[in-house]
Amino acid sequence: MGKFLVRRLLQIIPVLFIISFIVFCLVFVAGDPVALMLPEDASQEDIEQLRESLGLNEPFHIQYLTYMAGLFTLDFGESFRYNESALPIVLERLPATIELAIAAMVIAIVIAIPLGIWSATKQNSPVDLLATGGSVLWKAMPNFWLGIMLILLFSVTFGWFPVSGRGTFMHLILPAITLGTGIAAEMTRLIRSSMLEILNQDYIRTARSKGIRDFFVINKHAFRNALIPVVTITALQTSTVVGGTLITETVFSWPGLGQLLIQAVNTRDMAIVQASVFVIAFIVILMNLLADIIYKVLDPRIKYN
Amino acid sequence: MTTDTILEVKDLKTYFYTENGVIPSVDGVTFDIKKGETIAIVGESGSGKSVTSLSIMGLVGSPGKVAGGEILFEGKDITKISKREMRKLRGNEIAMIFQEPLTSLNPLFTVGNQISESIRLHQKASKEEAKKIAIEMLKKVGIPRAEKIYSSHPHLLSGGMRQRVMIAMALSCNPKLLIADEPTTALDVTIQAQILELMRNLSRENDTSIMLITHDLGVVAEMVDKVIVMYAGQVVEHTDVYTLFKDPKHPYTKGLLDSTPKIHELKEELQSIEGTVPPPGSIPVGCRFNTRCPYATEKCFSETPELTEVSPNHQVRCWLHEEGEVAI
Repeated sequence: MGKFLVRRLLQIIPVLFIISFIVFCLVFVAGDPVALMLPEDASQEDIEQLRESLGLNEPFHIQYLTYMAGLFTLDFGESFRYNESALPIVLERLPATIELAIAAMVIAIVIAIPLGIWSATKQNSPVDLLATGGSVLWKAMPNFWLGIMLILLFSVTFGWFPVSGRGTFMHLILPAITLGTGIAAEMTRLIRSSMLEILNQDYIRTARSKGIRDFFVINKHAFRNALIPVVTITALQTSTVVGGTLITETVFSWPGLGQLLIQAVNTRDMAIVQASVFVIAFIVILMNLLADIIYKVLDPRIKYN
Repeated sequence: MTTDTILEVKDLKTYFYTENGVIPSVDGVTFDIKKGETIAIVGESGSGKSVTSLSIMGLVGSPGKVAGGEILFEGKDITKISKREMRKLRGNEIAMIFQEPLTSLNPLFTVGNQISESIRLHQKASKEEAKKIAIEMLKKVGIPRAEKIYSSHPHLLSGGMRQRVMIAMALSCNPKLLIADEPTTALDVTIQAQILELMRNLSRENDTSIMLITHDLGVVAEMVDKVIVMYAGQVVEHTDVYTLFKDPKHPYTKGLLDSTPKIHELKEELQSIEGTVPPPGSIPVGCRFNTRCPYATEKCFSETPELTEVSPNHQVRCWLHEEGEVAI
């Protein structure tokens, strides 16, 4: 296990290297930020001067090498907008995003596990039809639309929750529901189909033949087996969750990484974009690593050598 | 019913209610098992033998259910008792071993966990006591290094070892009846013999009755006292093992015996029964075996034969034997 961890952690380095290259290329292709940074009536001279001071007149490979040199010391350069080093700004926003993501995952798990198990054990019953139909409907609902509808209903009409921003627990609820129920919809279907498959396995019949109560047959013998594919797919979807966070944060003006990234893209604040994507990539890789570890804990058949 | 009868199945009907109509997988099966006795239910795939055993265990899954008849276990009809009472019997008084040792154990729990689970449940034993009993059981079924195997996961064991674990699990609560559904089919021949011997010895030791489900007549000859031959959901012949091999009455039984390879006869081609078991739902009128029977007469296509006694303790469902002995 220790060796496996070290190897997996070392694998992160080339992955991050490739990702940073792709991000650099994308930002490079996206165009010149200078035009956006200066007022419309700025002279050509001013533009040239700013370009030079930012190192933007250098050829591609020189810019890339400068960027990479900075990367080794985790220096993504200065934000054009904040005039500060980019990484600390990004890291400062991270806790808000993590808070939202965790709250959403809690909601997703609390809904999806019981509902998925229930609808699998009562296949084709009204509960099952409602759960599967509901999850398709929910999955089809765009995050931003659901978010706006929740704001309209619960914040504007009823005034129960704040419209936007972060601060109290009440601020967290609507964005967490927006993000979490979407994840729950997908997870419910996954758990259901996984459970259905497991419930037909021979060892479930063995468990029943021992006289074990249905509750334990389902929750001990079946659920742990059903969880294995669910964990894998959920971990692979971390990037989808991150995508959802970007949208949800924008809708709710949640001061997280997503909101920062979207603003940075709009203002072509290269340093922030690069630092944010780098951090997000790092998180996604970590989540996948975590999934592998959980996998190992759940399934004794898996060996990492 | 005599007091030493442990299980009495009377006119059992287990039907599956599918979208394409009702499928009678078990249709009026009657037999009994006495204390310490070993009986075999023999038949091809689709003859209803596994469904019969699952009916006794109360494990017939939806859309199937016991539609009629009685299953008396120690005189009590277990088709009518509550789920809770049934759970108390299952794994405790009636235990079952399945065909597929490779997939019948839960891959995520240790062998020990799975054996002691039923011990703790039925004997109200503490964790330590259950562990002691489980390790003892593992030793009894001939597993070397029982302590180590106790904490191993099933994937580390071979098929034969896993079937031994299944037997240990099934016998851990000293059941009065052990149902073994093709326990050796998935194993290779040398292991088969070991497993059968193990079952025979353990049943003798504890006076456990065994209901063996098989299509292997070699196993039958070696193990059992009484044989029930099933075809398309019905009993077609019911007798003791000596009579069955010496004097089979039903053409189907005869066909089964003829299609078993014999060690002293060198044959170019192994005989087989033409055709297959009619799929449930398309059972022919008259005798159910009429489509494959070489002796079928007109009567066999129009009238359904009953299970009748041709000699003491020998029942056959065949028109050929309706009016006394007919040599076939």
